[in-house]
Amino acid sequence: MKDILTLARAHVLTAFRERETLFWFLIFPLFLLTILSLIFGRMSDGQDVHFSIALINDPSAASAAPFSPSAIIAEAFAALAAPTDSGHQPLFAIETPQAGQDRDGFLEEKLVELRRGQLAAVLVLPPDFDQRVMDTLDAGRGAPSAEAHLYMSATSVASETAASIIEQVLAEVDRSLLGRVGRFDESRAIAHVTGWVGERESEVDYVDFVLPGILLMAFFASGLFGVPGTILFNRDRKVLRRYWVTPLSVGRYLMGFGAGHLILCALQFTLIVALGKFAFGASISLFGPTTLLILILAVVTFLAFGFLIASLAKSANAGMATANILNMPMMFLSGMFFPITGLPSFMRVVVLANPVTYLLESLRQSVGVQSGTLMPWPWTFVVPVLWIGICTFAGVRRLRWDVQR
Amino acid sequence: MTNQIALRVAGLVKHYGSVPAVDGISFEVPLASVFTLLGPNGAGKTTTLEILEGIREADSGELVLFGQPMTRVSRDAKQRMGVLLQDGGFEPHLQVREIIQLFASFFARSRSVDEILDLVALREKAKAQVRTLSGGQRQRMAVGVALVNDPDVVFLDEPTTGLDPQARRNMWDIISGLRSQGKTIILTTHYMEEAEALSDSVCIMDHGKIIAQGSPRDLTGRLGEETLIEFRVDETDGEAIGQLASCCDRLRHDGPLFTLETSDLQRTMTGLLRWSEAQSTRFHDLRVRQPNLEDVFLTMTGRTLRE
Repeated sequence: MKDILTLARAHVLTAFRERETLFWFLIFPLFLLTILSLIFGRMSDGQDVHFSIALINDPSAASAAPFSPSAIIAEAFAALAAPTDSGHQPLFAIETPQAGQDRDGFLEEKLVELRRGQLAAVLVLPPDFDQRVMDTLDAGRGAPSAEAHLYMSATSVASETAASIIEQVLAEVDRSLLGRVGRFDESRAIAHVTGWVGERESEVDYVDFVLPGILLMAFFASGLFGVPGTILFNRDRKVLRRYWVTPLSVGRYLMGFGAGHLILCALQFTLIVALGKFAFGASISLFGPTTLLILILAVVTFLAFGFLIASLAKSANAGMATANILNMPMMFLSGMFFPITGLPSFMRVVVLANPVTYLLESLRQSVGVQSGTLMPWPWTFVVPVLWIGICTFAGVRRLRWDVQR
Repeated sequence: MTNQIALRVAGLVKHYGSVPAVDGISFEVPLASVFTLLGPNGAGKTTTLEILEGIREADSGELVLFGQPMTRVSRDAKQRMGVLLQDGGFEPHLQVREIIQLFASFFARSRSVDEILDLVALREKAKAQVRTLSGGQRQRMAVGVALVNDPDVVFLDEPTTGLDPQARRNMWDIISGLRSQGKTIILTTHYMEEAEALSDSVCIMDHGKIIAQGSPRDLTGRLGEETLIEFRVDETDGEAIGQLASCCDRLRHDGPLFTLETSDLQRTMTGLLRWSEAQSTRFHDLRVRQPNLEDVFLTMTGRTLRE
């Protein structure tokens, strides 16, 4: 045990004395959190943001009125869902019931998807919506508004953002309808009633949404890049060669290195969470037992990937190239930056095999910024643990003390 | 320990591809002695030592360490070994004390850090980071690391290469001190004066084979009772060289450097002075000496150790 603890201490001391390591381990994640929180403090810019929503209206009711408010609303959303000239994704992808499909059944199904985070919002226009709007318009100022039902997730920032855009669209349509009857006052023909899915405990701020992702990304970067970087640079500098002629085994070396890495990640965690809480007012708790378990699982998973890369690469440069190759699919096919629903099937295989998918989703869920899971709960642990086993086994078996001749 | 032998090697073979780096060598190292593998670069010394240290595995051959036959050096055997690698690095941001503590933690038995620091005279550098040490200090620290487990056998691969004369002399003192403590030392070097000064027995290697082995005195004694006279001259012609050859047993010259081998020093010196007067030639760096291991290697291979 003495050897493992002394190796861990040496690893931590070295990290603190090496400026580059200190930067990537501690300064960079803090810098990233600061930048993201300052720039995207309220994720209100709709450009390049894409939401899947469901719209339920009753076209059969529209024919009775001289013009159909529900059709105007549907057209407004269709315009926002149309492909853009610039090639960017449209703001919305809209799901509507098929002709003849049961409206209540469809609503129920979409609310489940909303709860799971697969939809950002559901807008329901009641069957008598057009008639009620027309009545309101005819009745003049002070008449009760027609109600649209807007359902949003209480645990998703994306849902809040999508809902605020939908509210703006409804307000625009409302102004347009009032203009048709020559009214330009402050009255409203359309009102929306908000329905919440999931438990709404507190306001979810952007920093709450981004904090788990930053933590995971920091652990990911230090595992995939920091671990093989340190091991392989030490091998290139012939440091590992010195260990070779002692009774130290590869397994115990990796255990000592891993223990040091855990200490550094605990420090990373403390600093990032402290910055999020005290500088940007994060309200989520990352100290729950499930959250801590997921975070430890994440650190060990990425550490194991680092061991695998170190054991496969012939030099530090080759190791960094391998880490870069793994970096792209693991980060981007995990839901860290955009939703993974709607990806082509071959990409979904990567998503489902990717441990980051499970770690990120379970972490966001455990801190209450996302509801529902893609896979049953045990998979959250099974997939990362499988990867830990495979990578550690390969690392211990294949890691060489010396540059191969 | 079997017959007071620390290490026995028989028929050791190691190839890199089709090139034989070590070609069937055999030797024994007695306990509490300094055994030196001497030879030019590429002779196979380091490969031999790396097999003995457990870094490489021999293609074939027998290895008996501390009386235990083994095909590869075991972890238990490593507990009793100290190794100074020719080509090894240290984590540059760790302090000398931290490095010694780190390596001490790998062994079941270890000496105190202060004891090691005193042994290699680095007490005042205990808190210095490795990257700030001079070459000599770094090499002393490496020796300290090799001795941290109070080993029974110490492997030192080219311990003085790249050191200045003072640092080299300090290293010799450390090695002599280890020998007097009863440690068995296996050393490689391509400095013949180092081998002569430190070794109880020497094994001269060339092209992966042992071409001679014995004590330094035995090996030089094989050249007979001859004395060598060395000097430089500014210019001379072929006829003059022929005259010079007649006053000694054997004559070699490499440009302006002449070496005369003689079993009758009086006769040769008289002839040499007469030749100088007749040629109006002045001698530079005139030196009379006994044969050394360099001469043994030269006699056996026709090359010098540094070629």
